[in-house]
Amino acid sequence: MPRLDSILTGLAGEGATGALRAGRSGTVYLTEGRVTFAESAHSPRLEDVLTASGRVSAAAVQRARRAASATGAPGAGNGDANGAGNGDANRAANGAATDANEDGARGRTSHRPPDGGGALIAQGVLTRGELEFCVLGLVLDAVYFLLAAAATRPRFVPGERHWLGPYWYFDVTGLLRECERRRARLNDVWPSAQLDTLPVSPVPRLPGQRVVLDALQWEVLVNADGTATPAELARRLGRPAYSVLMAVRRLAAAGLLMKPPPPRPAAGPERREPSAPEAERPAADQPAGKLPRRASAKGRPRPSGAVAPARAGAAGGGWPAVTGDPSDVSMLIRLRDALERML
Amino acid sequence: MPGVEDCLTELMDIPGVLDALVVDHATGTAVAVAGSGQHLDAERSAAALNEALRATLDGLAEAMTTGTLRMHDMIVTTDRGHHLLKPVTTVLDGEMVIYLRIDVERSNLALARHRLQAISARLTT
Repeated sequence: MPRLDSILTGLAGEGATGALRAGRSGTVYLTEGRVTFAESAHSPRLEDVLTASGRVSAAAVQRARRAASATGAPGAGNGDANGAGNGDANRAANGAATDANEDGARGRTSHRPPDGGGALIAQGVLTRGELEFCVLGLVLDAVYFLLAAAATRPRFVPGERHWLGPYWYFDVTGLLRECERRRARLNDVWPSAQLDTLPVSPVPRLPGQRVVLDALQWEVLVNADGTATPAELARRLGRPAYSVLMAVRRLAAAGLLMKPPPPRPAAGPERREPSAPEAERPAADQPAGKLPRRASAKGRPRPSGAVAPARAGAAGGGWPAVTGDPSDVSMLIRLRDALERML
Repeated sequence: MPGVEDCLTELMDIPGVLDALVVDHATGTAVAVAGSGQHLDAERSAAALNEALRATLDGLAEAMTTGTLRMHDMIVTTDRGHHLLKPVTTVLDGEMVIYLRIDVERSNLALARHRLQAISARLTT
């Protein structure tokens, strides 16, 4: 099965426009060979992010969406100027970035009907810059998880566009490189993926006197209820799933999260130990205290048949090892002296 | 309501600015770059500058154990210029960082700082 990244690279080469649907995992939208939007089942949706901020109501998102579908195919026939390139000083950072506003500038000056994003901006609920950042974050986040998910065979639907419209253009190679960088970064912070998909559960007590948290780590800790996984927390908080994952790994590296129970096999030998022959136990107990041993020899009700082995144990392995240590020798001499005085 | 590109253009208009870079603080992703950028590997610079800021924030937070830390900006002067780093909180995506490198000879640091403040404020409201 062709991998998602190779399909994307192919579509980019063709300068394709449309939606690449990877089954239930998500969708990547391309505009003339560049990625303009993406959504993944593992990362928060646009609606989640917009409404979680408290700035944009769900109704406003719905209105914008309706406005976009009412004006027909958004952005149709505005691709001509694209090849001109942007002559200003701005260069694309890491390829995954900018170029965005050759379209933005055009959108404002041309007669193009407003797309969903334009409707949101027109409603005054957020600025163009905020929407651009939002799309930037969402797409990088979604593509990161889409690439990781082994999806069903992706299906390309030519011409299909997202209702929001294009607000950021990602060069596909740059996008793939950025995802690779993010994967490496995550492993630098805490090289284990074992907490990535488990419910986030903070340790009840700090393993130290004080700790420094950043803003997102605070949000993660405050909202961790012992049942929500990092992906669920991300959706609830309206934060990028990758950022939440990063916060979780940082918390784990700082020892602030409960480790999952270790794998079972270790329990076997541990259980067998107590069930070892009864006779060995008294012998093992002996070195701890000498007086109790004496008491046990006389008065303690002992398990039948255990007497002889217990004594044997006391005589043999029960004593501390004899050494040539001078303190041992002087102790023996003092003991002998004391015994002689009693006579 | 400026977009990211407009914001970059305005940043480059500040007297003495050599490079401008916008970085996503949570991930270290280079968002946009402008300026004499040829000698600036945007991807690496973004990640490295972001780490520098994070380390400073961590250090300051530990140095001042009373309450939370809210950094307005960070200025470091080297022989290659003034380096301004300004965290900008966006409602939707958390923190962005604007980085400017400014010529030491041909600039007014106070003015640059003031303009950076104004531009970033307009970006987020």
